[in-house]
Amino acid sequence: MATPKEMLTTWDKVQFGAVLPSFEDPEHKKRSKFHSYNYSVADWRVEKPVFNRDLCIDCDFCWVSCPDSCFIVEEVVNKRGKKQAKIVGINYNLCKGCGVCVEVCPTPIKSLLMFPEYVDNDEALKQWPKKD
Amino acid sequence: MAQKYELKSKEVWDGNMAAAHALRQAQVDVVAAYPITPSTPIVQNYAQFLADGYVDGEFVMVESEHSAMSACVGAAAAGGRVATATSSQGYALMVEVLYQASGMRLPIVMTVVNRALASPLNIHGDHSDLYLGRDAGWIHLIANNPQEAYDMTLCAFKIAEDERVRLPVTTNQDGFLVSHTAQVVKPLQDEDAYKFIGEYKPLNPMLDTKNPVTYGAQTEEEWHFEHKANQHKALMDSPAVIKEVFDEFEKISGRKYNLVETYKLDDADIALVLMGSAYETAILAVDKAREEGIKVGLLMPRVFRPFPYNEVAEKLKNVKAVAALDRSAPMGTTGALYNEVAGALAANGQSAIMTNYIYGLGGRDTTVEHILDVIKETNENAKAGKRVTDLQGFINLRGPKLSFN
Amino acid sequence: MKNITNLKEFACTPDRFQGGHRLCPGCAHSMIVREVVNATDDDLVISTATGCLEVCSAIYPYTSWDVSWIHIGFENAAAAISGAEAMYKALSKKDKLYNEDRRIKFVAFGGDGGTYDIGFQSLSGAAERGHDFLYVCLDNENYANTGGQRSSATPLGAHTSTTPRGRVSYGEKQRKKDLTMIMAAHGCPYVATAIPSTKHWKDLATKAAKAISTVGPTFINALSPCTTEWKFKPEETTEIADLAVETCAFPLYEIEDGHKLRITYRPKQKIPIEEYLSRQGRFAHLFKPENKWIIEEWQKNVDEYWDYLQRREEAGV
Ligand SMILES: Cc1ncc(C[n+]2csc(CCOP(=O)(O)OP(=O)(O)O)c2C)c(N)n1
Ligand code: SF4
Ligand code: SF4
Ligand code: SF4
Ligand SMILES: [Mg+2]
Repeated sequence: MATPKEMLTTWDKVQFGAVLPSFEDPEHKKRSKFHSYNYSVADWRVEKPVFNRDLCIDCDFCWVSCPDSCFIVEEVVNKRGKKQAKIVGINYNLCKGCGVCVEVCPTPIKSLLMFPEYVDNDEALKQWPKKD
Repeated sequence: MAQKYELKSKEVWDGNMAAAHALRQAQVDVVAAYPITPSTPIVQNYAQFLADGYVDGEFVMVESEHSAMSACVGAAAAGGRVATATSSQGYALMVEVLYQASGMRLPIVMTVVNRALASPLNIHGDHSDLYLGRDAGWIHLIANNPQEAYDMTLCAFKIAEDERVRLPVTTNQDGFLVSHTAQVVKPLQDEDAYKFIGEYKPLNPMLDTKNPVTYGAQTEEEWHFEHKANQHKALMDSPAVIKEVFDEFEKISGRKYNLVETYKLDDADIALVLMGSAYETAILAVDKAREEGIKVGLLMPRVFRPFPYNEVAEKLKNVKAVAALDRSAPMGTTGALYNEVAGALAANGQSAIMTNYIYGLGGRDTTVEHILDVIKETNENAKAGKRVTDLQGFINLRGPKLSFN
Repeated sequence: MKNITNLKEFACTPDRFQGGHRLCPGCAHSMIVREVVNATDDDLVISTATGCLEVCSAIYPYTSWDVSWIHIGFENAAAAISGAEAMYKALSKKDKLYNEDRRIKFVAFGGDGGTYDIGFQSLSGAAERGHDFLYVCLDNENYANTGGQRSSATPLGAHTSTTPRGRVSYGEKQRKKDLTMIMAAHGCPYVATAIPSTKHWKDLATKAAKAISTVGPTFINALSPCTTEWKFKPEETTEIADLAVETCAFPLYEIEDGHKLRITYRPKQKIPIEEYLSRQGRFAHLFKPENKWIIEEWQKNVDEYWDYLQRREEAGV
């Protein structure tokens, strides 16, 4: 992941007209080095959301509300043969730790909780509040 | 398909009609424009061509010139041939977007009919608008009569769209004196004109949605300078392509254009430098002066940006005195053309005596007699071997003599 | 029109506005943008006015967009999209489209500054000319990108950096301009209000899908609670948006063909406006005794407007 500083080039090599291509390989949707998807805002965070798959009901509220498109989704087919999104994780390169996802998570014991950045995710899962 | 327009080998067109036909023949995909005197007829003529089936592109009658240029930028980035027309206040309203168009390297063609800038309001010709767009990163071509307005507009597309250039281009003609003065114009037939310009060559088109692109990103101190330098280089390199296009145009039209036009300059002792319709008046004045034994010649930058400073210096290397005539209020310094020429001479170690004249503001007449006066004063300087006239004079200004040293 | 049934299915849409942008944590702009962009499967060409969204999503050398996108200036997002749309029409007419097999839709985003104020002329022009595009106003009721100055969308009593509260000032003196109705008055075939919210995600997504599939100029005014300038905690963004709707400070409705008004969400019980105002630092001073009248004025305005909407809906005009 190149930082802007590392990408700095000379005047004769800048992008023509400052036009940025989204994809390096459009057919396979491989995003280019110019895509912010390949940039990290992780250092904006002091707290991070941790995701507990065991409690999640796949309502996808977190997916629709996350301002930073962090939720990694897997397309699955449900019992009635309809496609649906299953949350499989959080892209921590993109997460700024705003806490919106935690706020909107509707499970009785939240499936998403904020933890200090330094706490390991496995450790966080161990500290999860238990059902009464 | 648009219908072919039957053209005679000689048409009687004013500058506006000439420019409108050039836009029609270029088969522009999107024209977005807003009317303003004296370029309104370009827009109206184009609308009539559309109404009569001679145009099959889109014609967007926007609600302002700011939106005209913005729509042009949107359309050009979308990926096709784009043009507009304007003058004066309309041009001024566009200025913000002129920079954005060139920064994105979009090959938009704008046919400008030059007019004064208010206040006081004035609808007649001078070069205030052209000078306003001077640093906007566009190529500016000058036309002195309807034939040239037509020719330059055709050339403008080919220059702008060349992959070695990819910059927007204006063609400039004087308000009323060219735009509304009917003269014989020898047009190309539609197919020849289109063949000359060629098919539009897409570069990063937004409408190629399989390859999405982002236009108009923000660059800050780490990148901005590099982009501007890159764009400047493209302008500085463009004369090679402009020359090529002019040469190719000569082959099909027999009309020869140069980065710098001259008249009787080869053996001249003194020279006048000016652009626009007054150049034609000056030709008559030169002939008269020569009858009186003054060896005077003329020079005009056909291309105002990029300014062909080395060519200008080269052409002026044997003259003893030069008068640069500016058709725009200099507002606190010497005129822009004076500055350009003086800079060109200085850069090449030449020391012709230089003076500056301001003329023709707001469409004020400039006659052969007026120019003869300038020639005589310039000749005084040449004879004396030093400047004996004032640095900056005003031509045909009512009231006590106004000049500066 | 994309069939939007439930969130589980909607969430299978691959995002075309991606993270890594520099909007504030909890910024509502991107919640709205994601929903709008996800509300169609057609290809998109987007223009964006200068403002937070533009500045934060295309900082060279990075772009956050998976679709074609252009930013020209502050006041011309609508003009820019008209040009692009005109080019699409021209190239289709001439059989010169780049990808014959793709259908392209045109969307413009602007902040309230870029829409209510400086860009209003170009929006009005583009709407009147009938270009086929959706314009979405990201209405955070201030010029956030430049440090929170007032706009004509700033509501009564709000503290902004150019209408600061002070010893002799209670903040913004004017009421919010009713841009949605003004756009309806243009005769736009579809106009709507919306908010970013989990409760109302479908309201926004459906409106966006409808607007995008409607031929002609359409407009969505989306309230975009701004954590930084409204002064609430980032995680509260959607909650504040919900409160705007539950208090009827920002009712959800749509208007078809310039006049057919339909309220798309009716709070079971309208909550007092204090509950919305008190949650935002920009209104904190209104709770001083001498400013009580402003809250009363607010409530009166909200009640009157809600009443007006209901009467219009009922009358079918
Ligand atoms: C012609 C012009 N005037 C002023 C500005 C400065 N400016 C840039 S963004 C902005 C405010 C944007 O406010 P808004 O449209 O509400 O968007 P927001 O940032 O709130 O999302 C201003 C004043 C500009 N870029 N261009
Ligand atoms: S904390 Fe904010 S940015 Fe991070 S995943 Fe949750 S909603 Fe997204
Ligand atoms: S909001 Fe909570 S329950 Fe719903 S999908 Fe996200 S993590 Fe799972
Ligand atoms: S200032 Fe407000 S609108 Fe701008 S990025 Fe921050 S939260 Fe979003
Ligand atoms: Mg705003």
